[in-house]
Amino acid sequence: MKPLAIVVFALFAVSMNAGVCEAAIQGRTGTEFDLVARAGHITTGDGDSILMWGYAVGNGLMQYPGPTLIVNEGDLITVRLKNELSEPVSIIFPGQDGVLAIGGNSGLLTREAPPDGATVVTYTFVASQPGTYMYHSGTRVDFQVEMGLTGALIVRPSSGANRAYSHPQTSFDREYLFVLSEIDPTIHELVELGRRSEVDMSRYFPVLWFLNGRTSPDTMADDGAPWLPHQPYGCLPRLHPGEIILTRVIGGGRDLHPFHPHGNHLRIIGENGRLLESAPGAGPDLSYSDFTLTVVPGSTYDALFTWTGEKLGWDIYGHGPGDPLQPNEYAPDHGKPLPVQLPEKQNLMFGNHYSGSPFLGAFGDLPPGTGGMNASGGLFFMWHSHTEKEIVNNDIFPGGMMTMLIVEPPAVRIP
Amino acid sequence: MKLRAERRVSHKWTALLLLGAVLAQAEIRVQCPGDTDGDAVVDQPISGRQIKCMHLSAGDGFANMADGKLQYIFSFANLTGTPVGDAMMAGMLAAEFPAPLITLKEGEEFYLTVTNVGMTRRPDLFDGHSVHFHGFPNASAVFDGVPDASAVPVMAASFTYYYNIVEPGTYMYHCHVEATEHMQMGMLGNLYVQPKQNDLADGTILGAHVHRNPDGAGPLGDRYVYNDGDGSTRYDVEFPIQMSSFDPAFHEASLQVQPLPFAMMRDKYAMLNGRGYPDTINPSPIPNSETGGFGQKMNSRVSAVRGQKILLRLSNLSVTAFFTLTSSGLPMKVVGTGARLLRGPDGKDLYYETNSVTLGGGEAADVIVDSSSLQPGTYFLYTSNLNFLSNDGEDFGGMMTEVVIQ
Ligand SMILES: [Cu+2]
Ligand SMILES: [Cu+2]
Repeated sequence: MKPLAIVVFALFAVSMNAGVCEAAIQGRTGTEFDLVARAGHITTGDGDSILMWGYAVGNGLMQYPGPTLIVNEGDLITVRLKNELSEPVSIIFPGQDGVLAIGGNSGLLTREAPPDGATVVTYTFVASQPGTYMYHSGTRVDFQVEMGLTGALIVRPSSGANRAYSHPQTSFDREYLFVLSEIDPTIHELVELGRRSEVDMSRYFPVLWFLNGRTSPDTMADDGAPWLPHQPYGCLPRLHPGEIILTRVIGGGRDLHPFHPHGNHLRIIGENGRLLESAPGAGPDLSYSDFTLTVVPGSTYDALFTWTGEKLGWDIYGHGPGDPLQPNEYAPDHGKPLPVQLPEKQNLMFGNHYSGSPFLGAFGDLPPGTGGMNASGGLFFMWHSHTEKEIVNNDIFPGGMMTMLIVEPPAVRIP
Repeated sequence: MKLRAERRVSHKWTALLLLGAVLAQAEIRVQCPGDTDGDAVVDQPISGRQIKCMHLSAGDGFANMADGKLQYIFSFANLTGTPVGDAMMAGMLAAEFPAPLITLKEGEEFYLTVTNVGMTRRPDLFDGHSVHFHGFPNASAVFDGVPDASAVPVMAASFTYYYNIVEPGTYMYHCHVEATEHMQMGMLGNLYVQPKQNDLADGTILGAHVHRNPDGAGPLGDRYVYNDGDGSTRYDVEFPIQMSSFDPAFHEASLQVQPLPFAMMRDKYAMLNGRGYPDTINPSPIPNSETGGFGQKMNSRVSAVRGQKILLRLSNLSVTAFFTLTSSGLPMKVVGTGARLLRGPDGKDLYYETNSVTLGGGEAADVIVDSSSLQPGTYFLYTSNLNFLSNDGEDFGGMMTEVVIQ
């Protein structure tokens, strides 16, 4: 363990007590959205402060990624854009049909808002297909998306809010968003120094990697954490045994990332806003299961994940045979002891997310100063880019495109 | 060479003395039901249970690249069968690349003991090590090997992982401590699980296929990648092939105790089973030029008799890159990914035929090559990321091997 990493995690340990995590996807709901492109600084796990451009809501702060727009299938959506930056910007909506743009100036891909802080460009479309999408600038796309002008768009099916698509086999108990992206800070430094003309995208070499606009360990901090005013979206999936979570994954940058969920496989049921089905109404009969998801730039994935700990061959709760079953516990393993003895403490190094016990909801005796980041006796599973180079913050490990999923004991409330 | 051998021994003794002082209370211990003498070999089988044990050391060593250059590595070595009292000495500087192959059968209980023997050439490091059984379904945190979420053994200590093996397929394993560093340094290995369908009685009907098992799941019987129910994943010969890649600047910085270039990491050696071509087809273990130890034991030469079905268990554990493997004319059929049969939830067949497979780090695919349509001869399996058909500055080799059809 390197000294810097200890500092980073110590900071995070303080943050854990700051508030309550939200299990739903944070964002803006409705049919009309007023967005303003403006600048601001994000912070990264290596202590850096980086100039970004992003979409803000009304008079709010620039945010990275932009506000997650959550809309309903069939609604007519209106997005109005103003621009307080130093060059024209716009918005395109990949995957949406018939987007109408009015106002501003004509640009290559769509109409653009001039950098006057006043002109309004209005984009309208009917959100005709449920699924996970992104939106981003359609102006100087290579540069402006790098600068941060990108966000997620979620279209909920008219059949119900707790479904990814219309079909009942796409139902979920909780949902989480994962926008994967990366940046090359040298580009942002040049812009900050007023040397925009020297930016050479062909030299692009990313050294910072993000989930929902945050680098680890900030990914695990609360939504709206006050010390991350420009990065409001956390990325800390939690579930109880047996619950199904929907993971909405977006390739938001320009590189491919192999996204690896520890704990169990993902079942990928949708890609690019379409259910993986052989015929309309068939349900996700073409869905597939994998332990690592290839996330391609510009693509989106809807995947279901669940965990019960079944068939471990030992009781994940550490029950005796006479103890009552917990909800969704795998009964054949009930009361079976752990098949090995864990080594005595002096043989081990302990992680800060380890409760000291192998059992769900239990705590063990830990050496002083360890285990401080597991308040509930939950089981922590790392979700991360398996291009392991991307789980650093510049030269500092750990960091980057990494977070934890927590399997919480049934009695622990998840908001 | 003599000098080197002496230096190696003195390094080991220095390390042992250091460990003795620092970790007087640590304990090397193998847990394996039915093993009576601590060497991780079952001596007295327990009726009704299929116990499989292994003992791995985790430490450092050296590997030679196909251009002859030496790389300092971290990895595992196989101590199964070694008396537990000899584990430290046997494990030090013995790291293998790739890490020892792990083969399992559905229904087995796998007791995997890892002993941290320390990094002999980096006595300043006190890192733990772990095993992450990558892709294990419905995992527990305590046996997942992630140091943040569990506990890992310190130097001169052991940890026994327990895995109830219930899902066949091609997995992989690696250390998860300081993951970017330890994986770049080489703590990567092949791991796969064979299905119970192999054990069915001779003559069992599987759809249109009749299962053959004349010798108790021996060499004459049918083998399958998954419990497919129809024989569609049957194969004759199997070859685990793991892609990986090294950045020589990173390995040199590690050996010289310099700051590690994480952000600037750029891999220059692209390998199959820890070797670049033409070493990939060398049938012998390769000694390293530092200690003379044989750390690179696996080749990737694929051979079959015309008409046989060849199973390629492909995986990628590069920490920097996606790689595409393609071939000169081999018909590839992908029947599984991520240790799952490629079928929809209602059983719809999602197999596909292709000429190339692209895998990122932590991804695996099961590919069957039916050789019945092939003319006898030598074919190539190679990356179409063509810049990686090289061994660092040597503009020839890299991620390539040969498929010989007789
Ligand atoms: Cu390690
Ligand atoms: Cu892994």
